[in-house]
Amino acid sequence: MAHVNAKPLGGKILTPSVILMLFVAGAGIYFLFVRYIYGIGAVSNLSNYMPWGIWKVINVIVGAALVCGGYACAFTVYLFNQGHYHRYVRPALLISLLGYSFAGFSLFYDVGRYWGLFNFLIPKYWQGNSVLFEVGLCVMTYIGVLSLEIAPAIIEKFSHVEGRLRVVLDKLYAFLDRFLFLIISLGILLPTMHQSGLGGLAVVMGQKISPLWQSPLISLHHLISCMAMGYGCVIVTEMLVSHDYKETQHMEILSQLAKVMFMIMFVFLVLRMSEVLRSGAMALAFKGNLDSISFWTEMLLMVGGLWCVRNDQVRMKPNNIFLGSCLIMAAGSLYRLNVYIIGFHPVPGVTYFPSVPELSISLGMVCLQLIFFIMIIKTFPIIAKERR
Amino acid sequence: MKTTNRRQFFKRMALAGVGVMAAPLLSAKSAVAMKLRPRHDEDVGMLYDATKCIGCRSCEVACKKANGMPFEYDPQGIWDAPIDLSDKTLTIVKLYTGDQEQSFIKRQCMHCVDPACVSGCPTSALIKQDNGVVTWNIDACVGCRYCQMGCPFNIPKYEFDAQYGRIRKCEMCANNGLLDKGQTACSNACPTGAIAFGIQQDLIKTAKSRIRKNPGTYFQDKIYGELDSGGTGVLYMAGVPFDKLGLPDLPEYSSARISEGIQHTIYQNMVAPIVIYIGLAIAAFRNIRKSHKKTEE
Ligand code: SF4
Ligand code: SF4
Repeated sequence: MAHVNAKPLGGKILTPSVILMLFVAGAGIYFLFVRYIYGIGAVSNLSNYMPWGIWKVINVIVGAALVCGGYACAFTVYLFNQGHYHRYVRPALLISLLGYSFAGFSLFYDVGRYWGLFNFLIPKYWQGNSVLFEVGLCVMTYIGVLSLEIAPAIIEKFSHVEGRLRVVLDKLYAFLDRFLFLIISLGILLPTMHQSGLGGLAVVMGQKISPLWQSPLISLHHLISCMAMGYGCVIVTEMLVSHDYKETQHMEILSQLAKVMFMIMFVFLVLRMSEVLRSGAMALAFKGNLDSISFWTEMLLMVGGLWCVRNDQVRMKPNNIFLGSCLIMAAGSLYRLNVYIIGFHPVPGVTYFPSVPELSISLGMVCLQLIFFIMIIKTFPIIAKERR
Repeated sequence: MKTTNRRQFFKRMALAGVGVMAAPLLSAKSAVAMKLRPRHDEDVGMLYDATKCIGCRSCEVACKKANGMPFEYDPQGIWDAPIDLSDKTLTIVKLYTGDQEQSFIKRQCMHCVDPACVSGCPTSALIKQDNGVVTWNIDACVGCRYCQMGCPFNIPKYEFDAQYGRIRKCEMCANNGLLDKGQTACSNACPTGAIAFGIQQDLIKTAKSRIRKNPGTYFQDKIYGELDSGGTGVLYMAGVPFDKLGLPDLPEYSSARISEGIQHTIYQNMVAPIVIYIGLAIAAFRNIRKSHKKTEE
């Protein structure tokens, strides 16, 4: 079972949707140039009261959580020995690698003094108390780990080469295979650290974040919700790139994944609600302002997502688990947006809405990421295909 | 066979979940119990007494001059007329007018005893010096603006209009050499003694004696910053409620204590991550071997 036959999907790369995405990406890149020449203020609506906008929150914090599939898969397959999920590992790892690389790249246009990012690597600038430092270092290492995890797929692509290179590649392949367990366990440890850290960033902001979201357990909330989002991401990707789910046997496996997602998201819901009730923030949810609307939207998305995948029967319908996964991913994303933007009140009355160029850059980067993904699955053996 | 496998899977999942959940719960508790940062004897700071301030804004002018800061002109382009702290204005005097009451307020970096900005800064660009002053280092700064997100008083300002923005905030004249001479530009310029510069402990004593000598003058007989947000190096006295002056109601500990408390509990000497890593590695090793065996069969 553990052996998965992955093959390149092949086919044309420049489909109409890819061309459309290229245009969006182009607009984003244009505004990136403007940003680098005239500064952050020239393209964004960021201000000294709202210094973190969608670049950091959507492209980095939400982005990293949405692509958690690699983490969720490694967790299931290697830690709990659920080998029949093996076929999801490669696509999930690829998405994680791309997502994290883009999150890392996003920092290079979001921060003002980007060459300073290399200070993360210089010991004299290290700052062990800083959650951001921990997150930064973990993410950098994790990108390396992900590359190692995905390397076998790249090597397989070159299976036809001969001679000296063949020997080297074979050695590398064997080496990676032998030490897979060390790499995999790093691939579980690091995301656990930085995904909780991405929530831990909020702790120091103290009461600037609405009590509806602020909590000493906020790291845990981020960690748990990111796992559910990771499973959601695996399910959605699988259903988009392959039609294997039309066979009952595959659908069963997918529905088991959906069950895990359901349980994790349910734990998250219980934790979130109990924390809101414990801290007495519930009253804020009935103020009728943007905070409360956003709070209830988040809850609705979450409950809606859970409802779609509530029992084994409904989980056997592809539409249900697809919709459920999407809703749960949306809920987790909105949750993060709520923590860092909507629920962030440095002083009363400050508002922020991203500008058009700011949005273009965000969207452009997402499109670019998707284009890369499509290109790679069409040329490298990532997706498992059976009897087709 | 299949069902037992699955049951085992869920059982292990649940166990792992409990473990992950318990860790931060414990740490949140120890974070609160963790000792607060003390005010050191040699820490210097300032005491601003709003009841003595006449709103002449001499301090603003002196600050701009000492730090070479640009002007922010009024619409006619005649006066330097900033309306708030900004990347061009490190200190500002504002006027609060209520129904019955009125008060000036001078704002600037508070030089917190336990600064959130320093705790968050990933690359040690913001440092709390031995004399209690919080300084910024241009070579270290990434421009991530986490300090802005963390500061409970919204003090650090970023130059959003510059190609390579800097963080600007009051450094208590450590940056321009005045502090070495035992002075600050604003306290030097103040004609009424509303701003006093000195050792923080002495300033607190001064403030307490003022409160004793002038009963009923000061709001709640309180020194803002003595304990607020874990204590601040710039202390405030006023005749009106502090939150009206833009000084928020904060707990008597800094959010940095909670953040660092959690961080230190989880990562103390990296023991927990290393132990978890070894555990994960063993589990992964065994599972990979198991599945290899199965394929061979
Ligand atoms: S007032 Fe803000 S910027 Fe100044 S030391 Fe305190 S946390 Fe840092
Ligand atoms: S913007 Fe600069 S000073 Fe502020 S936290 Fe980031 S690196 Fe530190």
